[in-house]
Amino acid sequence: MWGRIKYFGRETVISLRRNLLMTIAGVITVAVSLALFGGILLLSRWVDHGTERIKGGVRLEVFMNVEATDGQIADVRSSLNTDPDVKSFRFFDKQDALAEFKRIFRKDPDLVKNITADALPTSYRIVPETAEKTSNIQNRFEVLPGVDDVATPEEALRGLLDATNTARIIFIGLSLILLMSSLFLIVNTIRLATFARRREIEVMKLVGASNWFIRVPFMAEGLIQGLIGAGLAVAVVVALKVGFDRWFNSPNGFFREFYLTTADAVTVSIYVFVLGIVIGLIGAIIGLRRFLRV
Amino acid sequence: MLRFENVEKIYKGDVAALSDVNVDVQKGEFIFLVGPSGSGKSTFLKLLLHEEQPTSGRIIVAGRDITRLSHWKLPQLRRNVGTIFQDFKLLPSKTVYENVAFAMEVIGRPKHVVQSQVPQVLELVGLESKSDRFPNELSGGEQQRVSIARAFVNRPLILLADEPTGNLDPANTVGVMRILDSINKAGTTVCMATHDGRIVDAMRRRVVELDHGRVVRDEVRGLYGEGGEQ
Ligand SMILES: Nc1ncnc2c1ncn2[C@@H]1O[C@H](COP(=O)(O)OP(=O)(O)O)[C@@H](O)[C@H]1O
Ligand SMILES: [Mg+2]
Repeated sequence: MWGRIKYFGRETVISLRRNLLMTIAGVITVAVSLALFGGILLLSRWVDHGTERIKGGVRLEVFMNVEATDGQIADVRSSLNTDPDVKSFRFFDKQDALAEFKRIFRKDPDLVKNITADALPTSYRIVPETAEKTSNIQNRFEVLPGVDDVATPEEALRGLLDATNTARIIFIGLSLILLMSSLFLIVNTIRLATFARRREIEVMKLVGASNWFIRVPFMAEGLIQGLIGAGLAVAVVVALKVGFDRWFNSPNGFFREFYLTTADAVTVSIYVFVLGIVIGLIGAIIGLRRFLRV
Repeated sequence: MLRFENVEKIYKGDVAALSDVNVDVQKGEFIFLVGPSGSGKSTFLKLLLHEEQPTSGRIIVAGRDITRLSHWKLPQLRRNVGTIFQDFKLLPSKTVYENVAFAMEVIGRPKHVVQSQVPQVLELVGLESKSDRFPNELSGGEQQRVSIARAFVNRPLILLADEPTGNLDPANTVGVMRILDSINKAGTTVCMATHDGRIVDAMRRRVVELDHGRVVRDEVRGLYGEGGEQ
């Protein structure tokens, strides 16, 4: 077994070196397209966090007074239950409000330290039947006893969401095109590699080497290109995560609700890696297709 | 060991390379395929390697019908059938030793087996002293002996040879034929295509003559031309 691994390792390295320029071109395109892809995913997550309310379908939020009585809160609930324009709603108690407050102001520990759940209002988050009913609902609930305010999503946030959605579509399209070209480059590298080694392959077939034995070094070659490209792209993703943290972390700025967690960066990195592996292997398989028949 | 039953091979473009061929070769036989250029000798051998498939008829190798062989079973056939060619097909970047070892490595033989078998086979073909040479440092006859060593090192049941002496001078030809003869005496079935009449006449083995793809003669102890034993 060890002997075989050594054999495959040697053959793969020889082949990669022989096509060094093609290999580098393949790796770079994989890296660029995956970095773009990872960047989009990261940006999406960042925007998703910032626009969770809109994304979650919550169109408006009924804030109770901090001192609202349980009876007032219950009255609002029964009105919501019977309101034909309300599709669904969810109650946020003081603990929920505190948790969210902590999340939004996590960059500002002083603020978080001085707050207690009691100081925060409870609220109902409401999904209207249709977006057009939003102002109807607002008008009806604003006036109920114990209700402090009915908040509707900020227009600015909507505008941003539209803009990022457009950007997302464009960038995803762009990264798809780049991914296709990196696939094509890997296919080409593998074709060249098989051409460079056609004598060896001929002899291998002649003496009865199994098909997978002939293919493994080439598959490894494609895989390695995909992996190196993915590695570079992950480095870009990490750099972006650090950059987002540094540039947009002002607790009072417009982007205060936008953030990226380490889990986001890890998830995106995993996607990028898997995609790199898939591209490398698929490229190799397509490049080797002519060997399906001897 | 190998059998052709009513085999017909028509290449693309309506070239009938073999028609109604019936040949039955027993284990341990040595047969010459003779006939003018274009008579179908190489096609006969390619069918045995499953490099080409017959248009109709059946081909049996080592008890297996290989007429419709699925492509994942092909390696097994190739391991049973060693092949040598007029142009040797050695790998120029590998030494004599490495060329022979390659044939074992790529079918996954363990290292210690390779290390014990390769020198033995090189000795059999008389090249143990040249194992570190590269093919371009050898004479044609020596290169052909390397290719025999490579074909034989995995102990195939059958050895196919397509004009193996076509590029060799008479002295080297004799050397190569001696080796093929000893491999055959050790039990391997040998099937050799040639149009070198002197070899055939000197060996007095079974002769199958093809002409325009048809078997026109099949003699037990034949000559290149007419006049052998029926
Ligand atoms: N791949 C091929 N495609 C079409 N015709 C072929 C092919 N290979 C051989 N032939 C034809 O088949 C006939 C037999 O060829 P071949 O078996 O090579 O004969 P030999 O080896 O006896 O010279 C010839 O007419 C040759 O031109
Ligand atoms: Mg021929």
